[in-house]
Amino acid sequence: MDELTIHDDGSGTLKYAINLSSSRVKVNSILALDSLDGKKVPNIDEIKTKVQLFKKTLALQNGISGVSVLENYTDFIFKFECNFTNIDLLQEGLRKSFSIISNEKTISESNFSWLSWDSKVLKRSIPSIATDKLKNFTDIDLALLKTGTYTSITRFDNPVVRFENPLSKLSKDKKALMLRTDTYSLKEKQSLLENTIYLFSN
Amino acid sequence: MIFVKYLLFLLVIISSSLFAQKSETLIPKDAVTVFSINNINLLQKISIDELISYEFMEEIHQELFDGSTNGKTLKDAGLDFDQKLNIFYGKLDKCELSGFTFGIKNKEQLFTVFDDFEAVSYPNLNGAVVYESFFNNLIVKNGVALLIRVEPSMDHIDEVTDSIWYARGNENPYDYMIENEDESVLNEKIYDENTQVENSFPDATLDPNEKNYNELRDSVQLVLQREQLEKILNQLFIQNDNLMRFDPRFEAQLLHPVEGVFYMDNARNIDKSSGLWYFQTVLPSLYKNIQELYAGNLILGDLRLKEKSVEFAIEVLYGEKLGSIYMDMNDSHFDNQVLKYIPEYSSGFFTYNINLRKAYEKAFEVIMPLLEQEKNAQVAMNVLTIELLNEFVNKDALFGSYKGSMFGTFNGIKKIKTKKIEFFYDEDTFEYGEREAEAEEDMPIVTIGFSIDRNDIPEKVLRHLARLTSKVKNMGDYWRFDNAIFDAAPLYMINKNGLFIFTNDEDLALNHVLGYGSISINNAKFKNAKKSGFMYALLDVKTTLIRFPKDLLSPNQNEMIESLRGKSGSIELKSSKTSKEKTSLNLTYSFSGNEQTGKHLLDLINTIYVVSK
Repeated sequence: MDELTIHDDGSGTLKYAINLSSSRVKVNSILALDSLDGKKVPNIDEIKTKVQLFKKTLALQNGISGVSVLENYTDFIFKFECNFTNIDLLQEGLRKSFSIISNEKTISESNFSWLSWDSKVLKRSIPSIATDKLKNFTDIDLALLKTGTYTSITRFDNPVVRFENPLSKLSKDKKALMLRTDTYSLKEKQSLLENTIYLFSN
Repeated sequence: MIFVKYLLFLLVIISSSLFAQKSETLIPKDAVTVFSINNINLLQKISIDELISYEFMEEIHQELFDGSTNGKTLKDAGLDFDQKLNIFYGKLDKCELSGFTFGIKNKEQLFTVFDDFEAVSYPNLNGAVVYESFFNNLIVKNGVALLIRVEPSMDHIDEVTDSIWYARGNENPYDYMIENEDESVLNEKIYDENTQVENSFPDATLDPNEKNYNELRDSVQLVLQREQLEKILNQLFIQNDNLMRFDPRFEAQLLHPVEGVFYMDNARNIDKSSGLWYFQTVLPSLYKNIQELYAGNLILGDLRLKEKSVEFAIEVLYGEKLGSIYMDMNDSHFDNQVLKYIPEYSSGFFTYNINLRKAYEKAFEVIMPLLEQEKNAQVAMNVLTIELLNEFVNKDALFGSYKGSMFGTFNGIKKIKTKKIEFFYDEDTFEYGEREAEAEEDMPIVTIGFSIDRNDIPEKVLRHLARLTSKVKNMGDYWRFDNAIFDAAPLYMINKNGLFIFTNDEDLALNHVLGYGSISINNAKFKNAKKSGFMYALLDVKTTLIRFPKDLLSPNQNEMIESLRGKSGSIELKSSKTSKEKTSLNLTYSFSGNEQTGKHLLDLINTIYVVSK
């Protein structure tokens, strides 16, 4: 689930939550392995170290503040939150931080460009770094993807005038939009969460 | 005169057939594991692409998986199907070797498949021609070929590289790397002579061709590889020394009138085991005793193909001392109670029947004198500790709690109830909250039970555990440990009928604590399990292997299961009574369907390869 709040001045908050609690047995069984499909499986301490590194790296990025990550290794729920002064700095900060924690120096800017904002119109999609991972799922995992959901919420200070994705739902006060889909459909059609949102301007 | 001519002609024919090179004569004596397929006619229709998809072919993958094999079968590869195909693997102190030997019918065809090989000049090898590719070496002589790969051990390469590197007066390459992170390649650097060090390194040579550490390491690897290969080729082609001459037991095994034979010299495996380096270096006399204990430890196998089955008869041979321990270990009465807990619908089960107390006593009798001879303070202390434990520990209670016999079943996959955290959203504001909800996940249903005389002991442990944590509960006929499995599913413990059983099968705990009764395994399976020696296993390939979740197995176990996925039929493992010299095991893979027998043979070889590597 992601929740993006954008204020009129372009600053805002990004919240991102991953909930694996309905696959606790599967996650625990994978963590018990040394490797899977030829790749090393990290242990919980290694995951914690990586999360800490990500947190510290992102907090050092220009225009980013209030970084927090809540980790629940019993139910496998992870909640990330940070504030940003503008969307470009948010995307650049995330790109740099991912590049550092994944040791991939080649993560291009386009991979982390999923938002654009001009104070009246917000265009959003999903970072290609996330959709690229989806492509690698095997047939065995596909059935499980059907049981997963992805929710995307966008909040503004001003009411939304119109939006292009017909699957979006507008909140009662017209200041928030929600898009929900299952993870399998998202894998099949990665444009499902793309949206262009037009705001009422004073 | 005519008679003499005939006699000479006859002599030529006999001598050429007697002394004609055979593929098995090219197996190096350092090979410790060999598969020899006698009837390779069976493999004629197997496509090469299919063949190289097997794990046991992985060493020569790079040679063959380059498009040169598309649409070709082994028949098109110029192989001589009247000769054996031998697959071997061996581990020496400083290197590993692996490869194949086979007969050649058509050399031209062979090189359309092995198209990356080029002939190289090589010191005299009595007429053998050496071909090389980037990874492997192919040696051809008198219509037979040896495809071999030699890999020096990483430790040995590092040892030699370091020795040269430091002798040239270089600094530690890894420290240097940390200080200069931007430098992608480490160049040799003369040790700073101004630095105050007690033992200064000698100057590096002024050779303009000096290499950086990694380049030096590559060169060392290549030289060591060539050195080892030369040694092996000299043994084979100059000294005519091969595994057949080295071990008559292997030579005898090759004569068996079966489709394939298997040979694994466990005594040499022990000898080369890097895990025993401590004993080899610190306690050499104890190491020698261990070697003696393992002397004669050998596994021999015969592969037989029948119309609807592949049978693998295995003989595990060992020396007298180890044999005496195994004999006492297997001197055990079969516990009939275990069969009550195996349901007829079980996809797979095993029974393991040993007498741990007798094994312990015999091992104590055989191994302790070996340890007592060792004049080492640490070993002496350990011997004293073991002697004291042997005196003070209540062996009746210990071996009454765990006698050594056990059984296990796999009863398929069931949905189990777990808890999950659900995100929910306010439909007006889209604010979200969290709530606990019920979830279901797939879990393999597994039961493992142990024969027990002292059922009061686990009962005592569980009673105390229940006082420590509310997760452990006495449910009357059984105990339940909540969230014991992956922090999500309960574990049930049943202490009945002289058995202590662990299971995640709720149905067994709730409805069958005294056994499955009329729905337990049928009489035929019951008798087979009972008649078998120390071990019996039966599994339905389709329902067990296809359904078993990949995530719950190690990569090695997965490889083995992958090799059998998509197959049907059953696998049965029986063992004979154990004698002082050997134990026999019989593995039968019965299959249905119209698949080629040769393919099943390869599947089985692959499974054995994956298990034994």
